[in-house]
Amino acid sequence: MRNLLNFLAKYNNLIIFLVLEGIAFYLLSTGNSYHNSLIVKGLRGLTEGMERRVSNANSYFHLREISQSVARENASLRTSVERSKSAENQLFFSVTDTVHSQQYTYSTAEVVNNTVNRQKNFFTINKGRLQGMSVDMAVASGDCVAGVIVGSSANFSIVMSLLNLDFRLSARLKSNGYFGSLSWDGADIRHAILSEIPQHVSFGIGDTIETTGYSALFPEGIMIGTVSGFEKSGGDFYRIEVELATDFKKLHFVNVIGNLRKEEQLELEKQFQ
Amino acid sequence: MINRILRSGLLFILLFLLQVLLFNNIQFSGYVNPYVYIMFILLLPFEIPSWLLLILSFVTGLTMDLFSGTPGMHTSATVLAGFIRPYILRISSPRDGYETGSGPSMMVYGFRWFLIYASMVVFVHHLALFYLEAFRLVDFFSTMFRVILSTLFSVAFILLLEYIRKGK
Repeated sequence: MRNLLNFLAKYNNLIIFLVLEGIAFYLLSTGNSYHNSLIVKGLRGLTEGMERRVSNANSYFHLREISQSVARENASLRTSVERSKSAENQLFFSVTDTVHSQQYTYSTAEVVNNTVNRQKNFFTINKGRLQGMSVDMAVASGDCVAGVIVGSSANFSIVMSLLNLDFRLSARLKSNGYFGSLSWDGADIRHAILSEIPQHVSFGIGDTIETTGYSALFPEGIMIGTVSGFEKSGGDFYRIEVELATDFKKLHFVNVIGNLRKEEQLELEKQFQ
Repeated sequence: MINRILRSGLLFILLFLLQVLLFNNIQFSGYVNPYVYIMFILLLPFEIPSWLLLILSFVTGLTMDLFSGTPGMHTSATVLAGFIRPYILRISSPRDGYETGSGPSMMVYGFRWFLIYASMVVFVHHLALFYLEAFRLVDFFSTMFRVILSTLFSVAFILLLEYIRKGK
């Protein structure tokens, strides 16, 4: 305390000077718009660099929301592409024509729970019946097959992953169109097995495997993976090892694809079975 | 003591009357505006405590700001002048020091001393004032030109007033 008082006594001139100058500068900056604007400009220049850095860091924290919104936009774009695609299929249509209608709907969802280490793997997405999800809708990660919805609650859906012994999907070689049945053998999460490709078919390592659209779940031409190896297995068929395009270990945002004409197709097919 | 305060008050009023009514209307080619009110700070007695000097400077500057409509500009320049005055008095002190009880007047210490003392204080004041007015360093040299020119004129008028005061 005594030191403080000594200090004040020693420097009282300087302190009074600084206080008075402070008041004067306050008057200067508030009373004159010219000085005020220059001071503000100067301070802004000082803080600008700092603020840029802060906003960079901030935008990094918002990446999650940004990627969500991009995914949403993507889904809506796909829906509109699908709309124009099916318009090309018909030569003539009127707006009220029931023949002209959209076949597939796309919406986006986030994976909230995921397993890959079991023989029957499922994952959970954060959309359910209230968001228009229903059983047998296809789930794709980006452009690649991920699974099929097997159950929905109000706000969540369970998806049977491709990495599930029960998962069956009609798949074909993109190069020549021969189709077979894709399943997982429970061994390796990077690989699945495509069977029922006849032995007279020629193909090579690296050929693309895609969906056929026969199952009425996935649209035609969704990427599954590439051929990484094959062997002859009993009878006349190949057993093709497919390297999956989807990395199930880092599944995050997925597209859910609904087929609006699935019921109609299945119903019709049922009549002739 | 009371007498001295009264005299200072009278000087204050007189200087401001001169400044506002006469010198504020003198503008040589838009460059030069003599500020003689700073003479009040120059003529305060030697023994004045420096806190009082600072506060009187503040009041002087504030009054000038009120008249010229430039809040803070004259105040900060004048406070700076008041702060710097004791140091200038110290470096410009005559060989045998200052006599106690006297003010810094030309009558006692001579023309030369008063000229140096007044020039230094006025220069500091004008330097602060004009650069605060410009408030940027873009036209540094033209501002400096104004500072020097205005200092010359202010000092000339202050000397003139000091002569009149002396002759009284």
